Amino acid sequence: MALTFFRGIKTCPLIHFPSAYFARKNGYFYCSMGSTNTQFATQEKQQSADLKTSQKTHKKSADKLLKDYEAVIGIETHVQLHTLTKAFCSCPYSYGAQPNTSICPVCMGLPGALPVLNSKVIEYAVKVGLALNCKLSLNSKFDRKQYFYPDLPKGYQISQFDVPIASGGCIDVDLPVEFGGGHRKFGITRVHMEEDAGKLLHTGNGNYSQVDLNRAGVPLLEIVSEPDMRTGIEAAEYAAELQRLVRYLGVSNGNMQEGSLRCDVNISIRPTGQQEFGTKVEIKNLNSFSSVSRAIDFEISRQVLLHSQGQADQIVQETRLWEEGAQKTITMRKKEGLSDYRYFPEPDLPGVALTEEYVDSIRDSLPELPETKRRRYEKMGLSMQDVLFLTNDLNVAEFFDATIGKGADIKLAANWIMGDIAAYMKNEKLSINEIKLTPQELGDLIASIKGGTISGKIGKEILFELVAKGGTVQGLIKDKDLVQIVDLSEIEKMVDKVLADNPEQLEKYRGGKTRLQGYFAGQVMKESKGKANPKLLNQILLEKLNAKG
Amino acid sequence: MGSRAFMVFLTHRGSSINPISNVSHLFLKKTPVQYKNQRTQKYFSTKAKSSLEPPNLPRLAETARISLTPDEVEEFAPKIRQVVDWFGQLQAIDLENVEPAIRADTEGDNMRDDLPQNFQNREAIITALPSYEEPYIKVPKVLNKE
Ligand SMILES: [Zn+2]
Repeated sequence: MALTFFRGIKTCPLIHFPSAYFARKNGYFYCSMGSTNTQFATQEKQQSADLKTSQKTHKKSADKLLKDYEAVIGIETHVQLHTLTKAFCSCPYSYGAQPNTSICPVCMGLPGALPVLNSKVIEYAVKVGLALNCKLSLNSKFDRKQYFYPDLPKGYQISQFDVPIASGGCIDVDLPVEFGGGHRKFGITRVHMEEDAGKLLHTGNGNYSQVDLNRAGVPLLEIVSEPDMRTGIEAAEYAAELQRLVRYLGVSNGNMQEGSLRCDVNISIRPTGQQEFGTKVEIKNLNSFSSVSRAIDFEISRQVLLHSQGQADQIVQETRLWEEGAQKTITMRKKEGLSDYRYFPEPDLPGVALTEEYVDSIRDSLPELPETKRRRYEKMGLSMQDVLFLTNDLNVAEFFDATIGKGADIKLAANWIMGDIAAYMKNEKLSINEIKLTPQELGDLIASIKGGTISGKIGKEILFELVAKGGTVQGLIKDKDLVQIVDLSEIEKMVDKVLADNPEQLEKYRGGKTRLQGYFAGQVMKESKGKANPKLLNQILLEKLNAKG
Repeated sequence: MGSRAFMVFLTHRGSSINPISNVSHLFLKKTPVQYKNQRTQKYFSTKAKSSLEPPNLPRLAETARISLTPDEVEEFAPKIRQVVDWFGQLQAIDLENVEPAIRADTEGDNMRDDLPQNFQNREAIITALPSYEEPYIKVPKVLNKE
């Protein structure tokens, strides 16, 4: 590998089609930017006693200012495919492995080594292309993108340039209810296959950097959106939907913290109504959906402020880094002209040819996608809040589907999963696949409550037993003798006993303190060990309480 | 480093054409859409070799991250010029009725299954590294992807 070439200089990685990138329609999904919580860049500079009032007026004028501008946001996402081996060699890849252990002449770029494409990469790319409603290129190819950087042993990245495997698609998202909700459709410009670079670590001291090449050559899909987003929330939801999509498809773990899903945001603003785009700024280092959203809102505010102060010329084409600690973006590098990657077709790899039959077979194998699932759940009568919760995690959605597949009431199943089960999972830091409760038993539990065999209160107790220890509903009911008491005479006996045991309270009740009914009900329920049917209990109790009154 | 590295660069499989930016235009300036619509490629079908500009050696050296002495520039310029001229000759071919191909035809799809296999001689690779400090490869300090 050409270590002698490593001199710490690299041309800026730019968007591939600078002119085409912003070429499509202009924002038919306009959202008022004032609706999200924007924080002004200058706020942090304000000090002293009048801080509060000045912030207040500032916020007010900021909101007013923001209404005069529209943000145009596009996102480039890199998704690491979770194949067993790298894209062009048989080296295994696993995150967190001992550095520089999974390397070979191919991924190290040694002379004479030839790349051979992993067929899974094509399969996953086609899956994602189809799921994003893209047009597939039946004939595409790989190209070399040349730049010099120590994490790139070959001196070039194998990528796709002018003929990506998929292009011209779209993705549907539902915005979170707490941010006002709403459905959006965002365009997908292209999806292409490429290889990842290694990892570069900068040690605190010393005049050298460290390189781990385990990741070099790991397959990626780069997904480029149209500049269709207008707010931080829309952008974050787009990224979240991509994560759900790749997880549903099983092509990536989509983990942002591990870098399996990386988002670079391009953002510009323009006065509302203006056709031309403003100067585009790129934001990197976004490691969570909330940082995507907050970085964009910060950047919109920063640019709007410069605009409004007649300093629009200070918005320059540059790459900015999101600083999580300071909650702001800072300049990483300014761009001086377009970099020249000198792309040319990769001579060591044949073209990528797909047959219609192959594409059809993959289309037929696609699972139900998040958007389809959401619309199905919506039609089942669930609220959008429920729909979004259940579909967010594929495992939760599958648990829900399996539960209602056993005939369980839809709304009740959703309530149990989103309520007590979700709370338990959160407390114990478990996924739904790790809890002991099965969809079969949840269905049975719901049916047992609905059918009156057990009370809701007992049901809850059984649930906690089931999630923690497992077992069956019927088994627990039998073992613990939990069947609900619906026998009128039995309940009557218990009511009589409680009234007899509490003569003072009874007198007070009959003297007009009717609020004591709750006390009596509680005592009777206690007497029944929680098993009395509450409706019957109250009915009988009222009759008896008022009998001689 | 210098001429040796440059020659390696020039003769390295397939990349011998990459430093000449005018030549690389042959491959670059087509968007997917244009590709579909453009049955005949003007780059190939018109103009004779005179349309290719002479290579700019200092710029080529810069993009390859190598330094050349004035003597070396003088030595290499005619050689690279020859390569460029050769592409100039190719441009004279009439391709009016030829369907553009994105890749040369190859037999079979030459892919492999996703089966992991560890490379057996990793030690040799590690030994050949100019600077290695368990478990990392050491490189000059890089702070900014510039
Ligand atoms: Zn390898």
